[in-house]
Amino acid sequence: MALAREMLEKLVDRRVLAALEVCVRCGICTESCHYYRSNPKIEHTPYYRAEQVRRVCRQFLDPIGRAFPGWFGAKTTADEALSKLAETAFAGCTLCHRCTFECPFGVETAEIMRVMRSVATATGYGPEMLIEIAGAAIAKEENADLFRDIFLDQVKELEKEVQELLGSSKAKIPVDRKGARFLYVPLAGAHTIIPQAIIFNMAQESWTLSMFDSANYAVFLGDISKAKRIAQRIITEAETLKVQEMIVTECGHGYTAMRWEVPKWFGRPLPFGIRNIIEVLDEYMRDGALHVNPSRNGRPVTYHDSCNLGRKGGLLEEPRRVIRATVGDFREMTPNRLHSFCCGAGSGLVAVPEWTDIRLQAGKLKADQIRQTGAKVVVTSCDNCRHQIGELSEHYGLNIEVTSISELAVKALA
Amino acid sequence: MSTFEIVAAVMVLVGAAIFAAGVVAILVAAQRRPYNAELAPIKGSPANGVLWAFTRGLAPWAKESARIHWIAYIRGVIFHLGIFVGVVYMIATPWLAQMPEPLRLSLVALFGVGALLGLAGFGIRITDSTMRLLSTPDDYFALALTSLFLATAAISAYAVDYLPAFWAISGITMAYAPFGKLRHFIYFFYVRVFLGLIFGRRSVLE
Repeated sequence: MALAREMLEKLVDRRVLAALEVCVRCGICTESCHYYRSNPKIEHTPYYRAEQVRRVCRQFLDPIGRAFPGWFGAKTTADEALSKLAETAFAGCTLCHRCTFECPFGVETAEIMRVMRSVATATGYGPEMLIEIAGAAIAKEENADLFRDIFLDQVKELEKEVQELLGSSKAKIPVDRKGARFLYVPLAGAHTIIPQAIIFNMAQESWTLSMFDSANYAVFLGDISKAKRIAQRIITEAETLKVQEMIVTECGHGYTAMRWEVPKWFGRPLPFGIRNIIEVLDEYMRDGALHVNPSRNGRPVTYHDSCNLGRKGGLLEEPRRVIRATVGDFREMTPNRLHSFCCGAGSGLVAVPEWTDIRLQAGKLKADQIRQTGAKVVVTSCDNCRHQIGELSEHYGLNIEVTSISELAVKALA
Repeated sequence: MSTFEIVAAVMVLVGAAIFAAGVVAILVAAQRRPYNAELAPIKGSPANGVLWAFTRGLAPWAKESARIHWIAYIRGVIFHLGIFVGVVYMIATPWLAQMPEPLRLSLVALFGVGALLGLAGFGIRITDSTMRLLSTPDDYFALALTSLFLATAAISAYAVDYLPAFWAISGITMAYAPFGKLRHFIYFFYVRVFLGLIFGRRSVLE
């Protein structure tokens, strides 16, 4: 308990303090949460969730709350309660920030939950699966030489595929190219390498492929020291290769962490630019570096805004411009952009098998939204969203194809 | 001046002093907390973000939640508007006699409606099972106190003889404000500024 108190004391910064103090528990945020909309229970309301943490903070951080706990609702936390709070923070909130923009005050419940995740992880209540995945990323960095040969072999195979697809032996997937304009950071899986390699080759880009992937599961744990280590691998790679920009693949948390959070963790801006592959695609299409034919994507298409990329990352119009240029029939979900609903699997839920039922239920609203558009293809710019929407399709019988913006663009290449 | 008038005047002055000291203490404590400034290269405009946070971002038509809970939203807006005007009115009460009649009657209406809406909020908090579960004694007391503040403001604006009662309640309200839920009015500005700065910088709010 002392550690929990110490962590709260350390992590409650001015922004979180304001979020803790400003809520008047009016309940207006209730329906803003996809958990509540899919399963209306009091535990699924943002203000209920945040209030559980708030009561602990009143005890630990507020001398007045501590002096009059009954009056102000301060609560000392026992181990059992801490475990429950951890579950709420990890499985009961996807940190999507939607409720913030629906709250009359703008309470950042997601920030409160993020702090609670940090406390839970530090006190041993972090989900094992997320800890393992974050640990594996660190192990890869520690044993980089071991992975390098395997990685290079795999890249050679992928390069052959790209050459076949483009019908050109000149097509390359460069690795360790010093002075390249872009360091492209993919995810594990060919689907985040082959389409982008085709795009870069078609645009005759100066680029190099990162050995690491953009996923940073320590972000979900709220474990900043581990998150820094995971990010550091790619930063070092970019600095060593002296690239101008790091281009992050279609990975919601990976992009937003690298673009917006990493400089805060390290206390300095990074010496190179950071963009998402969608921004590059948007640039290519605007500049005429890529020519697309929208009739090649003839089926009705809708776009799911990843919360990380859109509401938290500021990429709201770029994906739409690319999609509009590459498809014949684009249909918006309602609501969208700032008010878009989370797919239900954000912030690590997708990786924990025990939470499958929770996320499939929380994703019901998204499934309904997709169905209402009548679209046959759902495009999303985050791999976790993609996985979740694929499962939602099976679970709710949507019968849709789920794809990324890069893959959609490649299909439309003239 | 009657004894009650003197006591009421002292109460309002002491209340104001406690309020001022409390607000300063809250601000100092808040400023002592670390501020993790955004260091990433800017994409949008933090200034436009802050402007958005205090204008369009507060507009009820911009919020699905306000459309769903429009009665509660309007209730909250009028209630808070009444309190804000009530505070200005409190400062102006030494000149109440010079106040034009139509203005006084308008204030009576605003404060009266505000008080009724405050009481309605109290009733909702008691009857709604979710809100009841999450409410603390501080929630009820703060709501009752501000409703009483508005009620006495309305009465005093109508009949000047009741001004000391308004002063007394104002003194208690101000003295209590820094300690409980009522202090949310300070953090409101923090939250909106942070929202505007952070999400404006990321070009989310354009």
